[in-house]
Amino acid sequence: MKEYTIDCLGEACPVPLMKTEKKINSIEVGDVLIVQIDHSCAMKNVPEWARTQGYNVEIDEVADGEWEVVIEKTK
Amino acid sequence: MKIIWEKLEKNQYYTAIFKNPFTYVTGAILLSVLQIALLASSGNPWGVSGAFANWGAWIFEAVGGSVDKWFYFSSEGAQNTLKGGFLNDTGSIQNAGIIIGALAATLLASQFKLKKIKSVKQVIAAVLGGLLMGYGARLAFGCNIGALFSGIASLSLSGWVFALALLVGAFIGSKLLAKFFM
Amino acid sequence: MSEEIKSIQRSGTRAPRKPKKSQIPYGIALVIVIILIGVALSYKSGNLAMFWIFGIGFGFVLQKSRFCFTASFRDPWITGSTSITKAVLIAFAITTIGFTAIKYGAFVNGLPIPGMNYVVPISFATVVGGILFGTGMVIAGGCASGTLMRVGEGFMMQMLALVFFIVGSLLGAYHFGFWKINFISNGPKVFMPDYFGWFGAVVIQFLIIGCIYVAADLWQKKKMGA
Repeated sequence: MKEYTIDCLGEACPVPLMKTEKKINSIEVGDVLIVQIDHSCAMKNVPEWARTQGYNVEIDEVADGEWEVVIEKTK
Repeated sequence: MKIIWEKLEKNQYYTAIFKNPFTYVTGAILLSVLQIALLASSGNPWGVSGAFANWGAWIFEAVGGSVDKWFYFSSEGAQNTLKGGFLNDTGSIQNAGIIIGALAATLLASQFKLKKIKSVKQVIAAVLGGLLMGYGARLAFGCNIGALFSGIASLSLSGWVFALALLVGAFIGSKLLAKFFM
Repeated sequence: MSEEIKSIQRSGTRAPRKPKKSQIPYGIALVIVIILIGVALSYKSGNLAMFWIFGIGFGFVLQKSRFCFTASFRDPWITGSTSITKAVLIAFAITTIGFTAIKYGAFVNGLPIPGMNYVVPISFATVVGGILFGTGMVIAGGCASGTLMRVGEGFMMQMLALVFFIVGSLLGAYHFGFWKINFISNGPKVFMPDYFGWFGAVVIQFLIIGCIYVAADLWQKKKMGA
């Protein structure tokens, strides 16, 4: 199990989602991807997208207006 | 004092209204209620981008230009709005309200952060995107609010034609974004 | 967010948390300022104060629900997600009922129908404007309302986009005469009740909304499998 982090701080929609989609396709099943974001819309659409894909998702509010979306690639 | 805010932030009712995001459908219902109330009370539906042309005219006149001869501003209504200035223009006041309302929502959720521009790509994207939207909105009599949302709600066929064109534009934009701005 | 039990295993290399400072007091202070500005505007004119409050309401709801008209046109192309698209269609359906009720009420009482300047001519300019606007909003990461909302959230990129939105508007206004003479003045204004009657117009409108809703749902199932 590996852990990857992508930095999407300061990126506007839909760039965080596109980067997440690209990265998750390149990692192995069981790996964890952490997406750092500070865009309030991405904090909603990145988890929503990952859940419809069937992955485990958690949102961690790490600072005011900053989140880490933790996605476990389950399949 | 600090304890009060911490308690408030954990209170389930405060959390539901001010901290957590609403669902998209909740947003749709609330925006619709506001739209209908606005038409009922002011006689006009919601518009956003029309006021931006006035802002442009005021800035242009402040640096010594003149829009008096322009066809777009030639009507008596447009001239009066321009003469009245920002503080007498209902559209401008409403747009200022949107900025401040969003700021209030962000602060009450304790999620405000100043997000700096990260790269030259973002500068180009903002400049190009802004110009295209501004120009396009004048041709189509409005933006996603005036020409689309208010147009369709007003049973105007122009709203649906605009929607189709937007869908084509969004496709082009998505391709450009993936190619140049990622 | 409710306190979730951490189920995803993460390695121990997490950055130390920045100390959080609640911004709620600033939020409450701002609400007081908003009310004071509203009161000040009402001395100038009650109408201005009303538009101020509507603006605040629109901004608040847009931010809370992250409602994004841009995403409703963009996400189907990018990820195949149509959840915002469907929400926008719901908004169209609700406002159709409310708007038609208000308009019909004025019509049967022989009063002028309100909001008719939003029924605009359909011409080549509508199509060009829509394509330019659609391209621009995706690149800039927000349309007019979305840009304003994100300026309030502290996005410098959208502040820059707003400046150039204004520049673009001025250019568009400068060229407006050309477009008006060559295209817009030949375009028909189609107010659907004039062609199909009030009832027929609403039925057709709901058929269009319904068909697009089903198509959007199928699109997401096809593209995302859920």
